[in-house]
Amino acid sequence: MELLIDHVSKQFKDKTAVDNISLELTPGVWGLLGANGAGKTTLMRMIAGIMRPTSGRVMYDGVPIQTLGERYRDVFGYLPQEFGFHQEFTVRDYLAYVATLKGLPERQTRRRIRDLLERVSLLDVSGKKISRLSGGMRRRVGIAQALLNDPEVLILDEPTGGLDPGERVRFRNLLSEFAHDRIVLISTHIVPDVEYIAACHAIIKGGRLLATGTTEELVKLVEGKVWSCTIPAEAVPEYESKLQIISLRNENDGSVSIRYLAERPCGAHSAAAAPRLEDLYLWLFPESSERRYC
Amino acid sequence: MRIFRLELKRVLKSRLTWILLALALIFSVLLAYLPTTYCYSSYTDEAGNKVSLTGLASIAYEKEQQAGASGVVTPERVREAVERYQACLTAYGVTESYDLPEGVYEKEILPIAPLLHGVKEAFADPKTGMAPAIMEIDPEQIDDYDSVCEARIASLMAMEQPDSPAAQRRVVEMYRQVEKPFEVYPGMSSTITDYQNIMGFLVLLFCVVIAAPVFSADYQSGADDILRCTRHGRARLGAVKVLAALFISGTAFIFCAVVFILAADSLFGWECTRTSIQMLYSIVTLADMNIGELQCFFAAAGLLSVLASVSFTLFLSSKCKSAAASLASSLVFCIAPAVISMTVPGALSAWLCSILPASGTSIQASVLYAITDFQFLSLGGLAVWTPYAMMGACVVEIPLFAFLAVRSYCKHTAN
Repeated sequence: MELLIDHVSKQFKDKTAVDNISLELTPGVWGLLGANGAGKTTLMRMIAGIMRPTSGRVMYDGVPIQTLGERYRDVFGYLPQEFGFHQEFTVRDYLAYVATLKGLPERQTRRRIRDLLERVSLLDVSGKKISRLSGGMRRRVGIAQALLNDPEVLILDEPTGGLDPGERVRFRNLLSEFAHDRIVLISTHIVPDVEYIAACHAIIKGGRLLATGTTEELVKLVEGKVWSCTIPAEAVPEYESKLQIISLRNENDGSVSIRYLAERPCGAHSAAAAPRLEDLYLWLFPESSERRYC
Repeated sequence: MRIFRLELKRVLKSRLTWILLALALIFSVLLAYLPTTYCYSSYTDEAGNKVSLTGLASIAYEKEQQAGASGVVTPERVREAVERYQACLTAYGVTESYDLPEGVYEKEILPIAPLLHGVKEAFADPKTGMAPAIMEIDPEQIDDYDSVCEARIASLMAMEQPDSPAAQRRVVEMYRQVEKPFEVYPGMSSTITDYQNIMGFLVLLFCVVIAAPVFSADYQSGADDILRCTRHGRARLGAVKVLAALFISGTAFIFCAVVFILAADSLFGWECTRTSIQMLYSIVTLADMNIGELQCFFAAAGLLSVLASVSFTLFLSSKCKSAAASLASSLVFCIAPAVISMTVPGALSAWLCSILPASGTSIQASVLYAITDFQFLSLGGLAVWTPYAMMGACVVEIPLFAFLAVRSYCKHTAN
């Protein structure tokens, strides 16, 4: 099982949204990281087959997805960034409608819907209209519909938007359980959501693929660039003005522990810190934080 | 079938759909009843008091008064009626019936009025088209009433469409095939079919409003992104959406038309439906049918028009990115025939009104008015009567736009 993104580009008039991206997705959870406007959604829509690449192609097991058509959609699940639905649908009716379109047999449909609603904790609101649910609940309905046909390829575009911390944890567990022997691609700019469940990550910026690899491989890119130190509380503004601070923590003695990104330590009292995926993200997308140089 | 069932359920679950369907039904009953409220008669009773009647009482009174005129309209009966009319007016020394003393018209002329329908028109001047007064008609000429009517339609066509000999020939042929003598059963007026037209137009509008968001609302909300990623989410879903919209529209129209006809004919009397169309409209109307058949034929034409309009609306919906855009553009095409018939002159208007899908049951330019008119579309040596052209266009448009809608939906991708 392999999903190959082969030199895919997408041009919108004078803007290149996706620029010659090639990626080989194998079973497991993949994180697609990038800031807003990096081209994640455009890339995912092309993988879903609802947007045609300007050049390049997407192939599943060696066959272009356009050629596979129905066979590809049979093994495919998709949750777009904007979860659209018909206003009149109740949760159960909506899932039954999508299940039918996915070709699930009628008998299996009821069982499958019940099972999924239980897993996304929506069983007690199954008779309610989706339009009356909270944003987080709607997102979970979206996740459930994507899982209806037990897809081999699951594409989730910003799936955790609107979910509270508890729901985020349940979602991560659900995906970890589900991802066995399947290709799952999750786009997000919330790094912790994929840091521990994604086996591999692809990072895109300005439509270009910057890096791919496992969390361990990728964090090596910022090894020696993450530092920590403890400073007096009154010195925080000064440090903030000259460093790209990742985190601040007030200590009991009135001092503040900071973590920052820099090519070299700022002062002799700084120590190298173990890098994390989020550090890499912030290093690559400095506009996501305020980056200053020491 | 399961997808079709669920799509029907989806559309019918919408509150707007239910409101529109309920309104269509209410209007069907209301519009069937309204023509009765315009009926008015008055007479002077034995005590010399003037009695005014409205609504169903007026219909019943006129039916009772004109019962003797019911039946087959033979030339002999028409001649007798003309002679009685002339004798009455001569006796009172007047030349027009409205100059008769009070109460005389109701007693002498009203009972024979149905038989006099079309007499003046049949004897219209072939050169000017001006109808004579009944007093000027020689009753002996009525003995060959059919030939008089035939000559009248020929002269009318020569006057109205002098450049289309094919149409002139076709009209005479068609009129010869109309079953004669005509029949008349008093009590009904042409207002009923006018209101059937309004009912059809309203149902058409409601069906278009229901169909307009079918594809475009999904594009707008993003629901489409999920649906088209499913196994049956492309051509099959597109086809099912089209079929469901056509099914709902067709069923709604048939139901409303049946309710309207049942209600109207029950109020005015079922026997009235046996009246020849020529005894309610022009005496030289080309359609060989009675009022009941006209109602059914017009309902069938309305159904075709509604289906063609919905099919066209679905095509527009598959092309528009928002529900508002598809609704606005669809409504423009619904009212286009009425606007064109009022603003565009001559043959172009006839062509456009025949081709547009909403023409069948549009206000001002519907199959009903085309049936009672003598307009032909000329194409080389061919002359096609506009009601046939309208219905033929709808028959072609229903599958054509349905196919184009599905194709456009399948090809819809963000570029």
